[in-house]
Amino acid sequence: MSFFGFETSRHNATGAGFSQAHDPFAGLSNRDDEGEALEFEDTYDGLGDQLDETDDAFNDDTFGGDSGPGAGPVGKDFDFFGQTSKVADAIDEEHVIFSRQQVSKPQQPPAPEYSRGQPSYQAPYGRINEPSRPARTGYEKYSQEPVGELQVDAALWGVAPKKQPAPSPAPAPAAPTRKVLSLEEVEAQMRAQRKPAQPAAPSPAPVQQPTSQAPAAAHSAHGLPIPEHVQTQPGFYNEQPRYNEPQHPHAQGHPVTILQRPQSKPTPPGQSHAQPPAHQRQPSSGPVQPTQILRNSSRLSGDAAKIGVPSHPTPPMHPQHPVHRQQGSFSHHPHMVLHPTQVAQLSEEEKAIYLEQEAKRAKRNHKIFQMSRDNGIMTPQDKNFVTRIQLQQLVTATGNPNDHGTDESFAEDFYYQVHTQIQGGQRQHPSQPLNNFAQTYLFQTGSRQGGLRRHNRGPENHMQRMEQQVQRAVEAAKNKPKNKQLVIEGSLGKISFSNAKTPKPLLNIKRNESTGDANRPGSSHKHSQAVDGRDKKSELKSIEKIYSLLMKMEDHDRVMPPPPANDSDEEGIQRFVPWRDEAEALNKQLWTALRVHDRPAQNGLHPFIALLSYSKGKKALPRIFRHTSQEQRTTILTLIVVNLDNLDVVRNAQAGNIQLNAAMRENVELFSLSVMSTLFNFMNELELDLVAGVLGLVCTRNVDVIAKSRIGASMLTMILSRAEIIKHAGTSEQSWRSWDMAYTQFFNLLEPSLPYIFPGTVTSGEDVYVWQLLAALGIGASPEQQQRLVLAVKDRVMETVSLAKTLPQDLAAQRLQNVNLFMRSIGLDVELLQ
Amino acid sequence: MLFFSFFKTLIDHEVTVELKNDIQIRGVLKSVDQYLNIKLEDIQVVEELKYPHLSAVKNVFIRGSVVRYVHLPSNAVDVQLLEDATRREAANQGNKAK
Repeated sequence: MSFFGFETSRHNATGAGFSQAHDPFAGLSNRDDEGEALEFEDTYDGLGDQLDETDDAFNDDTFGGDSGPGAGPVGKDFDFFGQTSKVADAIDEEHVIFSRQQVSKPQQPPAPEYSRGQPSYQAPYGRINEPSRPARTGYEKYSQEPVGELQVDAALWGVAPKKQPAPSPAPAPAAPTRKVLSLEEVEAQMRAQRKPAQPAAPSPAPVQQPTSQAPAAAHSAHGLPIPEHVQTQPGFYNEQPRYNEPQHPHAQGHPVTILQRPQSKPTPPGQSHAQPPAHQRQPSSGPVQPTQILRNSSRLSGDAAKIGVPSHPTPPMHPQHPVHRQQGSFSHHPHMVLHPTQVAQLSEEEKAIYLEQEAKRAKRNHKIFQMSRDNGIMTPQDKNFVTRIQLQQLVTATGNPNDHGTDESFAEDFYYQVHTQIQGGQRQHPSQPLNNFAQTYLFQTGSRQGGLRRHNRGPENHMQRMEQQVQRAVEAAKNKPKNKQLVIEGSLGKISFSNAKTPKPLLNIKRNESTGDANRPGSSHKHSQAVDGRDKKSELKSIEKIYSLLMKMEDHDRVMPPPPANDSDEEGIQRFVPWRDEAEALNKQLWTALRVHDRPAQNGLHPFIALLSYSKGKKALPRIFRHTSQEQRTTILTLIVVNLDNLDVVRNAQAGNIQLNAAMRENVELFSLSVMSTLFNFMNELELDLVAGVLGLVCTRNVDVIAKSRIGASMLTMILSRAEIIKHAGTSEQSWRSWDMAYTQFFNLLEPSLPYIFPGTVTSGEDVYVWQLLAALGIGASPEQQQRLVLAVKDRVMETVSLAKTLPQDLAAQRLQNVNLFMRSIGLDVELLQ
Repeated sequence: MLFFSFFKTLIDHEVTVELKNDIQIRGVLKSVDQYLNIKLEDIQVVEELKYPHLSAVKNVFIRGSVVRYVHLPSNAVDVQLLEDATRREAANQGNKAK
C-alpha cells in the first residue's frame, strides 16, 4: 500500500493535524490507543491561552486588590472548597461507576464485533486512516474552560478520565490491526467473544447496574468518565456548547453533559424492547444518559457500524424497529442502531425498508459530516477579530455616531436632513441606520454576554476588548491627521489617506500658475462674454454671493435664541444681543451684495436689474425679501418699477411681435411666479401715497413699452388694483388727491397705446391679462376717461364678441367673461352688445 | 456626499436606472449607499422584449459604478433645496481644498 515506500502501518493515525476535520465515522476503534500515547493537545487544558498578559487588568481578581494599608475590606464570599467539594462527590461517584463498568464491560458482546467489522464498511468513505483523535477545532478551550480555576485535580478538566476506558479489554485485539476480515472470521471471533460473557450475564441485567447510579452522577459530575466519546466527535458536537452554555450557566463546569444531550434523548429502542427492565429507565432518559452513552460508545463505533450490520448473525429483535429509528433525527444516534443480529430476523420486506433507511441515514450523516468538516476552522477569537475589523470599518466609514445632529453632519447631509424635515419627517431618526446598528450591536451584545457568562472570562473579555477597540478606533478616526497626504522622510512618494467621504484622488494635477489662463484653449472665449457691455461672469458671481449670504442668514435664523422675555432677563439679553448684531451685519453684507445703490453700468442697466435677468436671480428675490427690512424692500420695489421698461421680460416680450420663443416664455413665467408674486404680497401692505408714488415713477418711464408686455401690464394692474382696494377702505383726502393726479397722468400716457397692447390676434386668446388691466383702469376712471377707454378698445371688444359666436359654447363663454371683466368695471355688460 | 444625501430622499420612490450597458430598469428605490449602489424592488425592464432574461427578476442590487443615469421623479425633487445643497457642497469642497 505504501506509495513512496513509507511504512504506512506505523503512521501515527491518532495525531491531530492542523485544523484537520475529524471523521466521526472512523468510530472509536482507535480509542484504546489513548492509553498508550497521550497527545499534548488532549492533555493541555488551554488555560494558558486565556491568560491576558498584556496588562494588569485582572491582577486585582487574582491577588485580591491592593494589599497595602489603604486597601478596602476583602470580601468574605469567596468559596474555594464548596465548588471543589461538589465535584469531589462527583469524582467519587464516577469512581464507583467506573469500577462497576469494569465488571460489566466484558459482558457486552457486541463491542468487539463492531469494532472488528469496521474496516470493511469504512471503506466506502475512503477514510480508513483518518485519525480517530479529534482534530484541533479551536473549541477545546471552550469545552474545558469553564472548569473552576482553583481546582487542582487534573481529572476535573476532563482529560485524565480518558485513560479509564483504556483497560477495557474487549476491543483491544481488533482495533489496532484493522485488517479486512472475511465473514467466517468475523463469526468465529464473535462466537469466541460471546462465550466468556454468557455465564456471567445471559440477560443484559448487568448493563442495567450502572444505571441506578447514574442519576446521582449525572447531577454532579455529568459524564466525566466518557469525555473520550465527546472528543472523538468534534464535527458534530463541538458546536453545541456555544448555544447551550448561556442557557445553562450552572452546567458550565460540565460541558460534557451538554455535549451528550442530543444523543441521549431518544431511548434506544432495540434495548428497551428486548429487555424488560429497560422500561424503568425510559421515563427518565435524562439522568440515565451517562451510562447509556458509555455503553454505546463501547459497543458501537458510530454510524459506521450500521452499514456493516447486515452481515452479522442473529439475536432476537423487535420488528418495530424501523419506526423507532425514524425518531432519531438530528445528528448521530449510535444507540439507535439495531443489534446487527436482529436485522437478520426481519422479513425481507422489512429488511429492505430498514436497509433503505439505513442508507438514507448514512447518506445524510455523511453529508452533515461533509458540511461540518470545516467547523471550527475559525475560533471564537478569530470571529471576534473579524467582527472587530468590520466594526472599525463601519466607524470610519460613517464617522463617529455621536457626531450626528451636529453642524458637521448637517453640512454633509444637508439635502437629506432638510428634505426629510420638510416632508414631515416620516423618519424619527434621520441619522443613518448604520450607526445605530453599530452602536446597538456593540453595547447590547456586550451586556448580554457579560450578564450571563459570569464565569466565562474568556469570551467576556473578548467583548470588552472589542468594545474598547472600537472606542479606540473612533478616537483614532477623530484624531486622524486632517491633511490627506503624508510624506515620510526619505521616501520617494506620498502616502494618501482615503476614506469613504474623501476618496483617494486618482489624479492629482496641480495647475502651474505660470502657464496660467493664456495658454488654455477656453480662455479666448472669456473676453467675448462681455457682450453688450455686461460681464456675465461677475454678475453670476454676485448672484452666488447673494445666495451664500442668504444661506448664512438662514442658518443664523435657525440658531436664533429666544428673545428676552422682559428687560430684567439679563441672560436672555446677553444671548440675544450678539445674535442680533450678527444678523444685522449679515443684512448689511447682503444689501451691499445686492448692489441696489450702485451706479448703473455704461449701457444704462442697473446692476440689480441685471441680476434679475438670470433665472436664479429671479428665484432669489422671495428669499431676499424675507431677510430685508421694510425700507429695503421698498427700495427694491422702487428700483424695479423705475427699471420696468429695462427688464428683459418687458423689453424683449412686447405684444404685437411674433410669437415669443420658449426660453422667453419660461422667463416670463418664472418672473411672474417669483418676482411678481413677491412684489404683489409686498404691495398689499403699502399705503396709498406710496402706491401713488410708484405709479408716478411708472409715468417717468416708457409706459408704452411697459404696457405692451405681459409683465408690465400685470405690474400696472397690480398697482391700480391695490389703489382701488385702499380707496374702498377709505383714505385721507390728501393721499386721495395725489393718487388722482398720478392716475390722470398715467391714463393720458397710456391711452394712445391702448389699442396695441393686446398680444397676438383675437383668435389666440392670450389677452386675459389685458382685460384685467383694462378693468383695473376702468374702475378708477372718471366717466369721461371711461368713454375714452371704450373708444380705444371698442374694436377689440367687438371682434371678440363676434368671434365668440363662432366658438363652441364653453370657449365662447370664457372669452366673453374676459371681456366682461372690463365691461363690468365701467358699468356695462357684453350682453348689451349681443 | 451630496448625491448620497439626495438619493436617500428618493427612497420608496419609483426611479428608472439606466445602466452603462443600456439596460433601463424601473423600480422602487429601496436603498442606496455611499458608493451609490442601488437596490431596486418590483423592477421592470423598460425594453422587456430585448432583455427577456430579466423578466423574471423582481429586485436587483446595482453596483453604483455601472449606473449611467438615474431618471428622477421630478415631483420628489425640491429644486431650490437641491441648489442650496449644491452650494453648500461646493463651499465645503472649497474649504477642504484650502
